[in-house]
Amino acid sequence: MNIAVKSPFEEKKANKLQSTRIAGKLVNDYWEMVWRAKDEGKLVCWYEGSAINPFLEAADICWVHGEAYSAMLAARHQEGTAQRVAEERGYMRELCSYARTHLGCAVSNQRLRGDNAAAAPDEDDLTWKLPPPDMIISAYAYCSTGQQWDEMTSRVFGKKIPIFNVSLPWIWGAKPDAGYLRGQEWEETSTYVERQLYDMVKFIEERTGKPYPWDRLHALMADIKRASELRLEAMELCTAQPAPASFFDWVVSIAPINNLPVPGVKQYFETVLAEVRQRVKDGEGAVPEEKYRLFFDGIMNWNKVGWLANKFARWDAAVVAGRYTHMAFWQEPGLIDPEKPVRGMAQNYLICPNNHAAPILIDLIMGLCRKFKVDGMVIHASRTCRAFTNPQFMIADTAHKQLGIPTSMFEGDVTDESFYKDELLNSRVEAMLEAIEHRRMAAAA
Amino acid sequence: MKKHVMGVDFGSTTAKTVILDLQGNIVAHSVAHMGAVSGNGVKQSMAKALEMAGLTQADIGRTVSTGYGRRMLDEADKSYTEITCHARGAVAMVPGARLVIDIGGQDSKVISVDSNGLVSQFAMNDRCAAGTGKFLEVLARAMEIDLEDMGDTALRAKEKLKISSMCATFAETEVISLLAEGHPKTDVLGAVHKAIATRTLGLVGRVGKKGPVVMTGGVAKNPAAVHYIKEELQMPLTLPDNPQIAGALGAALIGLDDYKAENKRLLISGDEDMAHEEQMAADKACIPGCRGVPELATNPHEKQPVKARTSPAPEVAHSH
Amino acid sequence: MERQAIIDRFAHAARDPLGYAKAWKERTGRKIIGSFPMNFPGELAHAADALPMILQESEDQITLGHGLLFPFYCGYTRSMVDQAARGNFDVLDAIMFGDHCVQLLGAADAIRMQLTNTRVIFFQLISSMCDPWTQGRSEESFSKLKAELEDFIGAPVSDNALHASIRLFNRNRGLIRRLYDMRKTGAAPLGSVEMQHVVKSSMIMDKAEHTELLEQLVRHDEQARPVPTRNVRLHLSGHFCQAPKPEVLEMIEGCGVTVVGDDLYHGFRYISTDVPETGDPIKALARWYMDRNTGAPCPTRVQNNVDWDAYLLKAMREERAQGMIVLMAKFCEPHMYYYPEVKEAFEKAGMPHLLIETEHESMALESLKTRVETFVEVVKHQKVAA
Repeated sequence: MNIAVKSPFEEKKANKLQSTRIAGKLVNDYWEMVWRAKDEGKLVCWYEGSAINPFLEAADICWVHGEAYSAMLAARHQEGTAQRVAEERGYMRELCSYARTHLGCAVSNQRLRGDNAAAAPDEDDLTWKLPPPDMIISAYAYCSTGQQWDEMTSRVFGKKIPIFNVSLPWIWGAKPDAGYLRGQEWEETSTYVERQLYDMVKFIEERTGKPYPWDRLHALMADIKRASELRLEAMELCTAQPAPASFFDWVVSIAPINNLPVPGVKQYFETVLAEVRQRVKDGEGAVPEEKYRLFFDGIMNWNKVGWLANKFARWDAAVVAGRYTHMAFWQEPGLIDPEKPVRGMAQNYLICPNNHAAPILIDLIMGLCRKFKVDGMVIHASRTCRAFTNPQFMIADTAHKQLGIPTSMFEGDVTDESFYKDELLNSRVEAMLEAIEHRRMAAAA
Repeated sequence: MKKHVMGVDFGSTTAKTVILDLQGNIVAHSVAHMGAVSGNGVKQSMAKALEMAGLTQADIGRTVSTGYGRRMLDEADKSYTEITCHARGAVAMVPGARLVIDIGGQDSKVISVDSNGLVSQFAMNDRCAAGTGKFLEVLARAMEIDLEDMGDTALRAKEKLKISSMCATFAETEVISLLAEGHPKTDVLGAVHKAIATRTLGLVGRVGKKGPVVMTGGVAKNPAAVHYIKEELQMPLTLPDNPQIAGALGAALIGLDDYKAENKRLLISGDEDMAHEEQMAADKACIPGCRGVPELATNPHEKQPVKARTSPAPEVAHSH
Repeated sequence: MERQAIIDRFAHAARDPLGYAKAWKERTGRKIIGSFPMNFPGELAHAADALPMILQESEDQITLGHGLLFPFYCGYTRSMVDQAARGNFDVLDAIMFGDHCVQLLGAADAIRMQLTNTRVIFFQLISSMCDPWTQGRSEESFSKLKAELEDFIGAPVSDNALHASIRLFNRNRGLIRRLYDMRKTGAAPLGSVEMQHVVKSSMIMDKAEHTELLEQLVRHDEQARPVPTRNVRLHLSGHFCQAPKPEVLEMIEGCGVTVVGDDLYHGFRYISTDVPETGDPIKALARWYMDRNTGAPCPTRVQNNVDWDAYLLKAMREERAQGMIVLMAKFCEPHMYYYPEVKEAFEKAGMPHLLIETEHESMALESLKTRVETFVEVVKHQKVAA
């Protein structure tokens, strides 16, 4: 059977979860809120990486997650202007494209307030619309880029914006007692980060001039904890065959769990869970004809979400789980005690999908592959996101050795579509699926 | 002192020669296509230019070379980088220019020039084919179109397609893919030229967008490339008549400067020469206006020759 | 010893660091502890009676390494994993590091998996330099590193031993700084390749052995007479982990350039700051770590109240440099982030600079030469205009 012999214009499309459309609406509402923030006299905080937004939402500060803004631009295919502005200023293309896009917005913003104050920007140009920050909080696990990006943002704004740094150490896991969520290193590191978060709250108090509303934070975290549990339950249901939802559905659901206003998030995931449960009952799959189940390693290519979803659907491949969606975004709600949430929050920041060194990280991934019974793994080698690509060769190697499954890598990027190489993806994944098919036939014979 | 100077641009795919007279006028120029950094192409170019001017190499007072092969030219008295020469040539062709965009066969460069026409900053892409003439060559082959026709065909593009790959090799794959999907060559070519413009704009960004802008180099003769670059730049773009010879012209002009500086005493114009002679004569004359022939002495105040006397002039002792 | 012989000794170690390490091990029977740049205090390993060695980028083409890290990583990290994969690091008994550049973390992770018999010791140094807890956390990091080192060696490291090592390392740095001062004034006949041999060999060789040779070299050069030259005076900046290739340095100087100063890692950054010699040595090391970034700001750290761009302009004035060549290692993210600030500051100040992207793989030197030649022409006519 030659999988490659398919009409390129075949109509098979991804069977997206209906409820993900709600995510689209929630996202739009949120950005509208952000764009109104200055008019409403709100303080604006720029941050990236760790989801410190509940801290900000509780204090009624408008929070803007840099990666989310860049991802939004890329998903709407409007990242070009920001990237061009950044390049003109001298930020090179090999830099993290999230950072480059975001810095392009920052530079545009500064220009708008500076010598180009007369030039009214195009209302539709989202590059200009991002409101400038009143404060910057940097809390980035693992990736040195995040911290440097925030520092450079501060310099683009003439160092006039107060900036606070939370340092999140990498979990090296060398000691005999080291393991996932346990060991002396884990406990000490959690304490170190927890202390800094309390200092961060003091910083917030200095900005707002008001005592910090802890009870509001507790309420928000109770909701996030519940929302996370619902999300995990829904993802878990994808062990069913056919899988009711795909990695791409979970990608679209990142915004709600990661950086949208908390009210509405719990309900969103209730809706998602209900739909997924129904699909399991009906035997309805995320792809019209599930023949192969794949794991997706690597960060998402935001310019190509729909494109990739449909491509895999055409190949009858259900991408059932991924490191980016399943090992991130409040994925250990059990650690959070809503009455005293800070330590649990610190710990969730520490378990971002890259922050464990290889032995522990790879174990977690192999566990997911087994749980979801995948036949193969697709690895997105994102050109400018080295945090994600760091362990990929080791992951691929372990997948071959421990699980006996084939892997294939393709080149792309987070938000810079010039790095995406469609032909590589096509030929390599097709070859992998053929290999899986042949193996099955041999096993059946 | 000789009466001509020569500039030779020993480029990567073509060799250009320009011959100037001492006033800086172009007396002859020629372009020869050749293999990479080949001595033959250069010799051909130089020979043709000399023939057009009716001169031989011996008539050339100063030869300056530029381009990749600049150090390989025996006839050259000196060499300067193509950046310096392109800037100089472009500003000569378009006085007042502040930004030079040069897209050649193998590389592309953007040069900002100060008010004296000297290089201020520059940015180059000489590492990969994307955004250079080579890019177009490769794609012309892939699309079975003549290189010369590419520009005009691209201008007829209707649908805005996109080629996003920065790498020429993968861009070729994208082109093939678009053609396979059934898009017409015109539209695909439009996208190719847009990609060149985007790449060029990246270089401009590094150097600063300050006009007036001039475009030189072989690709300046491609109307679609010019159109898309102008669109990206959002600034007017001046095209000299002969963009390809900017480098050789600049080299010749620099050569002329050097030659003049070295031969200052020989470089007197006809009027300057006469004025100088007048002064020397006036200094030495015993009677005003005498230049050694009293009958023809002129009174400088009258500017009329003094009529020859009928009676002999008083005896003047010629003791010097 | 003759001056050239000293330089040759340095060059020999610089060209074949692992060869030097092997020979040293055979001679002494002691342990070798490799480290990654930038901030690992060799004093700790030295006090533990081991040879501390900063691991160097090798000249070899990357082969096996590309099965561990992608080609879009900096040359240093790829060379590290490549050398590990080939077994070149078998001479090392342990590898220690504390820096957090994400590509370095990836390399370290891969190396740990490759070298199952080599202990890789990591304790992350805080990279945010002006927080109230920066000093405390730095002390904690160095304490932890020291404890692991003691566990590895199987013996405690006394404060006295640490103090002695600190004094020795300070002496070594001070002597190299003397050479830097002499180079500024033109008194020392040290080209940039020779200077690299001096600094790089100090990262590799037994410190006492290196210091002794260095004392002799300084005495030689103190007697040299400045040679007048019409070269343009330039400052070299960049390369925070790996040494710039000697061919590149030679090419630059060949265009009529005298390098009068630098802030390369294989240069001023390595020697800029001394460790306080009194008091608690761990506190002293933490102090050194923090002072290094004020002494020569590095874009791999974040410190809002210190400006690398201002530092560079000041260095240009002190060195009486007419321009700066930025050597940017391709894919070096920290450098790419900060560079636009430097570019803007230099343009505002009217100080010419040239950016050269360098690679691990071979570069087209001819085209780099064209850029440098043009830059020299630009600097020269700026000089005339001024």
